[in-house]
Amino acid sequence: MANIYKPDLMEVIAVRQQTSDVKSVALRFLDPDRAREFSFTVGQFGIFSVFGYGESTFNICSSSNWKDRIEFCFRKVGRVTDAMWQVEVGEVIGFRGPYGNGYPVDLWKGHDLVFLGGGIAMPPIRCAVWHALENRAAYGEITIVYGARTVDDLVYVDELEEWSKRERVRVITCVDPGGEKPGWTGEIGFVPTVFGRTELALHDPIALVIGPPIMIKNTMPVLEKMGVSAGSIYTSLENRMKCGVGKCGRCNVGSHYVCKEGPVLTMDTLRNLPLDY
Amino acid sequence: MSALISENKLRQLAAEWIGSGRRTIAPVAIKSRLLYMPLQSAEALSLDTGARPANTIKEFFFPKAETLYGYRVKGRSIELIEPANPEEQIILAARPCDAAALPVLDHIFNWDFKDDFYNRRRASTTVITLACTEADEHCFCTSVGGAPDSERGSDAMLLALGDGRYEVRCITAKGQQLFAGATEASTETGKAIAVPLRNFEPEKVRAFAVEHFEDPFWAEHTQTCVGCGACAFTCPTCHCFDIVDAGPMAGGVRVRTWDTCQSAIFTQHASGHNPRSSQPGRQRQRILHKFAIYPEKFGEVLCTGCGNCARNCPAGLGVLSVIREI
Repeated sequence: MANIYKPDLMEVIAVRQQTSDVKSVALRFLDPDRAREFSFTVGQFGIFSVFGYGESTFNICSSSNWKDRIEFCFRKVGRVTDAMWQVEVGEVIGFRGPYGNGYPVDLWKGHDLVFLGGGIAMPPIRCAVWHALENRAAYGEITIVYGARTVDDLVYVDELEEWSKRERVRVITCVDPGGEKPGWTGEIGFVPTVFGRTELALHDPIALVIGPPIMIKNTMPVLEKMGVSAGSIYTSLENRMKCGVGKCGRCNVGSHYVCKEGPVLTMDTLRNLPLDY
Repeated sequence: MSALISENKLRQLAAEWIGSGRRTIAPVAIKSRLLYMPLQSAEALSLDTGARPANTIKEFFFPKAETLYGYRVKGRSIELIEPANPEEQIILAARPCDAAALPVLDHIFNWDFKDDFYNRRRASTTVITLACTEADEHCFCTSVGGAPDSERGSDAMLLALGDGRYEVRCITAKGQQLFAGATEASTETGKAIAVPLRNFEPEKVRAFAVEHFEDPFWAEHTQTCVGCGACAFTCPTCHCFDIVDAGPMAGGVRVRTWDTCQSAIFTQHASGHNPRSSQPGRQRQRILHKFAIYPEKFGEVLCTGCGNCARNCPAGLGVLSVIREI
């Protein structure tokens, strides 16, 4: 019997605390054959589990070019993520996937890329940024605007710093008003406002906007003002999931099963779906 | 020509099936209601078609709690254990609206990813239906393409002659096998009740639900819903589930359990945001899933008109009561 719910066993090879309640974890397949045959598209997700506690859904936030590992990033908010917080290097956890459609990175070729993210939305943007940087000639200017509530809530700060030193890459970080602290050199303000202030001249850009619903809503008019059409604006939905394989019945937005026909979709598509996300 | 079997002979057959170790499931009268359950003896079988069982046969294909695999933790190594194969089973005297749900459920368990937990139970089960001779005020199978003698999902069907004899219609080879040599040829036939009146057009329900996604209608007509999920748990087609770990950290099982879109946390994000934060929104989802989403995906409604949602609702709701308002 093919058991579609049975996970791969993964060894934890690195754990990094990103903030007071966010950690990133790197995994490798215990089965060398699986490690060799495994591939995914950036933007796809996995279902990660701690045995005895249960499963949780996260984006695979590493680049698809990194063959020796996959990474995910989580915030400690419940039973499973509390258990995940305790996991140490060398321990074994479960992984099912990859699931979902991923980003159409081939379609994005030749375009300027704008990444707009808020808070814990950095991981699903990070994999796309690395993909673009590792295929640098295929993409135009890269702009990243990333914000969090406070300076201490920003994740992957070292990588943001590294990206900003690359050619044709602009990184803008911001924190909500009141979230700054002494020595903060980034912007103060919400992602849509800060992005609006940049007044960039972009050539037929592709935008990837991920964050809380309010951030996405307020970013749309800014992008439209810049002449970006809804068909060129992508997001990744974060609907609750259990199975990841189109059966358990909870991630749908209208007839759109987020786990299979998403999580990545354009604002064009999203606008035609009922307000159920 | 038809094939007939007497009630006595039918009970004899059931006793043989039970005796040969095949799990034989049938309606059993428990106090004032019928429940599908494994028969301990052929005498327990109820052939009363005056009422329909409070549960459905879906639990014998998609159990309330099903082990997906076991895990054993030894230090830093983990062993996964595949669950046992399902046993062969026969479902006897199923209602046609229960059997008709099986081909409908085949779609969801087999688009793209194949769910072999469900598929192998389908393969190891023979379904014998009993055509309905009565309908109650909650029945509406004919509105959704069914009938009191619909053969959909059945391997064989029994139709009562009304005198303790039943016509046996073998629909598949599996059904034929069970009744081989047990019937007598005849010119008489059994019958089901005259088709009940159609109550509604599914297409009109779909159009209304899609066009009135944000409408006070949902709050007005579902405000008595308490969110218990009885409608979903007693529905032959509702198939939503959760996956949870059970047992101690050192060794336990990962289990799939029934879940319902009527629960408040069903869709709640880790952030606390909930796309369906109110009960009317959750009732709307149930109607939409059955009459708009499933037909769009798989070409047929996710409802067989059994009426169990209404029969089992503590608030007097159910699909039909909402649809009547539409």
